[in-house]
Amino acid sequence: MSEWIAYVRARLRLSGLRAEREVEVVEDLARQLEDAYADALARGAAEPDARSAAHQHISDWQTLGRDVERSERWKESRMTEGQPAVSTRNAAPGRPALVAIGSDVLQDVIYGLRMFRKRPGVTAVSLLTLALGIGANTAIFSVIDAVMLRALPVRHPDELVLLKWTATKRPSLHNSSSYGDCANQFVDVRASGCSFSHPFLSDVVAQSTSFTGVAAFANAGQITITGHGAAGLARGQYVSGGYFDTLGVQPAAGRILHLADDTPGAPPAIVLSHGYWQRNFAGDPQIVGQTLFVNGKPFTIAGVAEPRFTSLTPGVVRDLWIPLSFKPQLVERFDPKNDNAYSWWIVIVARLRPGVRTAAAQAEIVGLFRNDTLLGPKPIFREADNPSVLLLPAQTGLVGVRARFSQPLDILMAVVGAILLIACANVAGLMISRAAARQKEMAIRLSLGASRARIVRQWLTESVVLAVFGGALALILATWASRLLAAMMGTMAGRPDLGLNISLDARVFAFTTSISFLAGILFGIAPAVRGTQVELTPALKDALGRAAGARRRLSAGGALVVAQVALTVVVLIGAGLLVRTLQNLRGVDAGFQTQNLLTFGIDMTLARARSTTADQVSADLQRQFSELPGVVGVSYAEDVLLSGSSSSNSFPKPGASDHTDGEANRLAVGPHFFDTLRLSIRAGRDFRADEYAAAAARRNAPASDGAKDMSPVPAIVNELFVKTYFPQVDPIGQTFGASKTPEYAFAGWVIVGIVSDAKYDDLRKEVVPTFYVPISGAGYFALRTAGDPATVVSSIRAIAQRMDLPVFAVKTETEQIDELLYQERLVAQLSGFFGLLALALASIGLYGLLSHDVSRRTREIGIRMALGAPRATVLRLVVGHGATLALIGAALGTIAGVGATRYLGSLLYGVGPADPATLAAVAVLLVAVSVAACLIPARRATRVDPLIALRYD
Amino acid sequence: MFNGNLKKGSAELLVLSLVEQRPRHGYDIGKLIEARSRGRIQFRIGSLYPILCRLEHRGLIAGRWVERAGERRRRYWRLTPFGRKCLADQRGVWKEFVVTVNQVMRAGHV
Repeated sequence: MSEWIAYVRARLRLSGLRAEREVEVVEDLARQLEDAYADALARGAAEPDARSAAHQHISDWQTLGRDVERSERWKESRMTEGQPAVSTRNAAPGRPALVAIGSDVLQDVIYGLRMFRKRPGVTAVSLLTLALGIGANTAIFSVIDAVMLRALPVRHPDELVLLKWTATKRPSLHNSSSYGDCANQFVDVRASGCSFSHPFLSDVVAQSTSFTGVAAFANAGQITITGHGAAGLARGQYVSGGYFDTLGVQPAAGRILHLADDTPGAPPAIVLSHGYWQRNFAGDPQIVGQTLFVNGKPFTIAGVAEPRFTSLTPGVVRDLWIPLSFKPQLVERFDPKNDNAYSWWIVIVARLRPGVRTAAAQAEIVGLFRNDTLLGPKPIFREADNPSVLLLPAQTGLVGVRARFSQPLDILMAVVGAILLIACANVAGLMISRAAARQKEMAIRLSLGASRARIVRQWLTESVVLAVFGGALALILATWASRLLAAMMGTMAGRPDLGLNISLDARVFAFTTSISFLAGILFGIAPAVRGTQVELTPALKDALGRAAGARRRLSAGGALVVAQVALTVVVLIGAGLLVRTLQNLRGVDAGFQTQNLLTFGIDMTLARARSTTADQVSADLQRQFSELPGVVGVSYAEDVLLSGSSSSNSFPKPGASDHTDGEANRLAVGPHFFDTLRLSIRAGRDFRADEYAAAAARRNAPASDGAKDMSPVPAIVNELFVKTYFPQVDPIGQTFGASKTPEYAFAGWVIVGIVSDAKYDDLRKEVVPTFYVPISGAGYFALRTAGDPATVVSSIRAIAQRMDLPVFAVKTETEQIDELLYQERLVAQLSGFFGLLALALASIGLYGLLSHDVSRRTREIGIRMALGAPRATVLRLVVGHGATLALIGAALGTIAGVGATRYLGSLLYGVGPADPATLAAVAVLLVAVSVAACLIPARRATRVDPLIALRYD
Repeated sequence: MFNGNLKKGSAELLVLSLVEQRPRHGYDIGKLIEARSRGRIQFRIGSLYPILCRLEHRGLIAGRWVERAGERRRRYWRLTPFGRKCLADQRGVWKEFVVTVNQVMRAGHV
């Protein structure tokens, strides 16, 4: 037998067959020849005759080999006319068709891997490029997934609805608060919000039949915690008794709060968040049942919430939950008016009863809401205001940090999408040069009868394999990058703990897998099509084949480079505009000196509990701080300037005969505020000590005291205030804002001074009319230092600690401004980074194309130089080619960029989408980098030795 | 002996019908064709083998290595269910073709 196998093996030439299949064919044929030989012997033939009879069975080995190969190729095994087997032409016997395709694909994959190993350099560059492109997309998408798409961390989040009121006019309220849980619009025509009054919540709980439970909550802000080590600050949230049960949140230790905890007279109990429990109590289960002092009031720790429940509203992280009914005890000088129907501050989420349609539940709630707001002694709305309530899915209605991050993330997603396209174009360019190198292989395949579709499939398989490996690398890259990104977002927003759980979940994985496949197909198409466009005869003759294929490869590769450059220009223009915006905003004159200014808060809750007034403590602290070396000025105010928050008052417009309202920002400030901030007093004077004393007296008078102080409050106004409200008269001594209604009798404000204009809450906003009043009580301190403000921080902490007062939010004003500009900084930095990445990728693409070009045209360049072309001409030839492509790309990119950057719209400041300076800078940068990328291959071209080049083929 | 085109056109039908009743190995199929046609149709191994490969790839027949006691293993071919269906179709077509050709020729004689 082995003799016959050797006989067959020596004669049969098979290629393109799997090894095991080849062995099978050889053995099968050898066995048959042996049968024929044995048969002849049995018929009495002599040994040599029997052998020759067997030999005669196969005379044309070449044809046999080709026929066997051809029958192995599924495309070529089409039956003769009239035969019905087309659909299963690929089916291996006894196996389903898919398995057969699978094994073919596997064969392609293995073949592809072998080809990659042959050119490790190109493969590594392609993989890296893809990993960067796909990785950037995965990283941004995983943040989008965590911020925008992740389901609320509660049981059946799809059943939860958020109540949102709408009306065509602002409600007439005593007071309304919202804390970024949902998108509010407090303007006429289209007002909406999701804060409701306590009485309305009680009505919903008592009267509605559409819900199985109601979870209401409100921000408790910053609260002090004592009773467990040093005084600390925590972020609290008031919740209704049904909050945890309705959401289906389980305790990690102890128990959660129930309805009974939120009733008058219930023993005070709180629930800690898992994170706070871990951070402050090291996850000690013994803490359950112990007492903690919240704003000085004792509460029992009932339990700890489960770890996954970081926050209901995305990114709004709370440390502990307090029953709603304890709010009056925890708020200093609680005004019962703040709990009536005219004070809206509670967010309501409810779980729909199974079988109840949202529309039906909504109709019921609208009825309750209209009842509460249209009727009563002092209606909040009129019928014409069309008050209503919408039940929104809680998943999308509770926006939280989504509102802050959605625009930057959208922009970044578009940017990384462009990066991926550039990466694809880049890899496609590399693949095309590979396709050129493999032209002979393709020509052989085609001439052996492989169909073009089969070749295209081989190419696409190779591309997808490359993309999948790239995607796997990208996942590793993205895990790291998305964490970095989340940390960056948190730090920039001044909130290191955004409660974002950024992880590669199934959705991110599916996203990466699909974009990898898509990318593989995208960058595989060009080389696949190019690969099949082979003119067989010249390609097989090799030398001519290269020349014939040259012109077309040039145009395909060139087009890819143009596309890369154009996309890069778009990304760079966007990045440039965002960077310019950031520069413009940083350069905005705030009206006060922002350098060498340190701001921080000191919580006075405990000082009050110790029956020292906050005014005394503030004055004492001011004195101590001003004695610190390096400190040149100390003051305090109710808010930090440029922190994004502001207070305003509306009042009857002074001097107006009709009843139009004027509006101005208001800030309560301590002694020496204007000196410290370097605001100059233009006329009049600063506040006097007796005015501060009067403010303290007003504040400390019992709220219920009917005998109101009827003298006007002194105010210092800015110049714009004067221009707006007292343009004609001497403003000093004028009063404004007096009210004679019996409920809110107020003598108004009297202007005692005029101060220079300054921005209040936001750098983007124009300066608005502003007035300052004397502060009473606690506030944020502002320290002016001679040198670096950071040097005094430890002394400040030491002073506060001696007085057992918690210090928080210690920042320089420059840091404060950076936080205010977090959105701009985030998109400017990241898009700047991605712009450089795009530039790098595009120049690699350009470099790759040109160096391939130069090596291909070595012979031509050699001839030119042999005929006397100077080196400069050759240099021009190559650089000129590259520069032309770059210029075409830059022109196209500029046109596209001007169109695309219009979507940046509201993010830009002081710069238009078609900013000539930015466009010019990008064009210059791009052309410079392109020429640099061209120079390396061009210099190589000039060093071509004509003699060697002519011997090249 | 018939000419090559006639042989080629009928080869697949012949192979399929020979493995219809029981699995056979390659050399056996060639010998059977020769024997049943009383030597008038002959396939050498070199021409029969690609036909077998093609039929296998189209899923009409399936090969299996079988080792009988005292013999070396041989590849036996059997008809797949799909092959059985095709064979029935082709048989019908073939019979019809023969009848039609005969009719045409008879008409020529009359």
